[in-house]
Amino acid sequence: MSIKQLFSLSLIALVSFACDQNSSKDAKEHVITEDVQNIDKEKTLNAEQKEKVQHKTAVAKDVILSLYVGVFRSKKMNDKKNPMLENKISISLDSISNDVLFGHSVVAGNNRSFTGKFIKKDGLYIAECKEPGDDKYDGVFTFTLNPQDESIKGAWTSNDKKLAVTERSYDLKKVEFKYNPHQELGDISVEVYQSSNANTDEFERITSDAGKFNASTTLLKKEDVENMYKRDLEVMRNAIYARHGYSFKNRQMRNFFDAYVDWYIPVSTDVSKDLTDIEKKNIDLIKRYEKHAETYYDVYGR
Amino acid sequence: MKAISPSIKKNKLTRYAIILLLLVYSYFLWLMIKITLQYWPIQTDVAFLSIKQDYIHLLHYRIAFFIHVFSAIFVLLAGYTQFSNSIRIKFPQWHRRLGWLYVVVTLLFAGPSGFIIAIYANGGLSSQIAFCLLAFLWMLFTAMALFKIIKKQVSSHKAWMIRSFALALSAITLRAWKYVLVAAFHPKPMDIYQIVAWLGWTLNLVIAELIILNKIKHEYQTTI
Repeated sequence: MSIKQLFSLSLIALVSFACDQNSSKDAKEHVITEDVQNIDKEKTLNAEQKEKVQHKTAVAKDVILSLYVGVFRSKKMNDKKNPMLENKISISLDSISNDVLFGHSVVAGNNRSFTGKFIKKDGLYIAECKEPGDDKYDGVFTFTLNPQDESIKGAWTSNDKKLAVTERSYDLKKVEFKYNPHQELGDISVEVYQSSNANTDEFERITSDAGKFNASTTLLKKEDVENMYKRDLEVMRNAIYARHGYSFKNRQMRNFFDAYVDWYIPVSTDVSKDLTDIEKKNIDLIKRYEKHAETYYDVYGR
Repeated sequence: MKAISPSIKKNKLTRYAIILLLLVYSYFLWLMIKITLQYWPIQTDVAFLSIKQDYIHLLHYRIAFFIHVFSAIFVLLAGYTQFSNSIRIKFPQWHRRLGWLYVVVTLLFAGPSGFIIAIYANGGLSSQIAFCLLAFLWMLFTAMALFKIIKKQVSSHKAWMIRSFALALSAITLRAWKYVLVAAFHPKPMDIYQIVAWLGWTLNLVIAELIILNKIKHEYQTTI
């Protein structure tokens, strides 16, 4: 078990280094000598083995470190607290250091980092990662990464057991995220919940107008937007954010993009710096008409 | 003469109907005052103007818009006084004063400014024509009414005044139609605007003609 040996050796080195960092100068010297010893020991491994090890870690990094997306499904919930049954989640595995994994998840407008240990077993990577714990919605991810079918399957449990949802499951697929302004909504015509409460029976229609223009590529004129329903305008505007991978806090928009827009991948909670000039101008115009529709559409006046 | 004065011949039911009508009218006038006050102090980025940003940089549009908003409201005061026989008979000088106010505001301020903003109306050519025609006919009918009373042709004056005021009322009826049709059918915002641009005043004119016909019939009967 050469890999195990190597891991344990470097672990000892790391731990001792970390432990001694705060102690006296003498201790530091001691560490250095130990490190040198370790290197010497490593040198004693034959070249073939070493090559093999290096190759394996390279492969592992390549396979593991990427972006995974899928549905974050509620398992245990409190129905009285209006739980969100499904959200699209992206999990990004950002770096590994020995048996420690660093990553972050983006879901429902929340971007949280996590850290945890992983082990490799039968070609699978099994990890348990904790979110920092200073957010109400933090918890623990436990998952299995399968490099063969490039998937992550697992569960998440909340730290706070009084949340609307305390346990969720997920089955994510490896994806690549790249901003593409040409992604279209297409001919979408669906009914969405009118309010943020999923328990109501009130629906509102999103018509095909919502996808009539691509507000990331076409500079819109007032004539383009003045005859559109408020909800369609809202979807057209938010499609801009969706293309940049914005994770929606707004439940209705999240519902819509999660469920009906297959290219949508939530990767960020702030895309304001990524917006192009066309997009900024269109956002201003569309917002103006949204606000006007909201204030005046069904009232007596103007 | 007093014995045949219509105000005395009115029965109780008609009186109640008139009171009710005045209450309803007051309610809508109140709404119109609130709509007017949205633009005070003068702002170019509120309410209707928030979707007129393509034109708001035009000086003549801005001037016309604010003249229209702040003058047209006075025209609606005529609804209280000018069609009451008793006020006209008891206080003829007030009928004349408020009549002049109506004519001056319509012909010099609200009418011409209405025509200018009509050129830039929302909803394309159809509603532009509708609103331009509305402004033109309003001024024409008002001018006719003034001309007739100068010539002392009272029943003609009445008929033209009824037509003119029917168009002035389009401020109220256009918005009422929009409200009702939106509640009933949820049309798209510009579709409904194009519809009420016509419906808002043409139906008023039809009703005005019916009232005039009825008056002629009534006067014919009383003269017999």
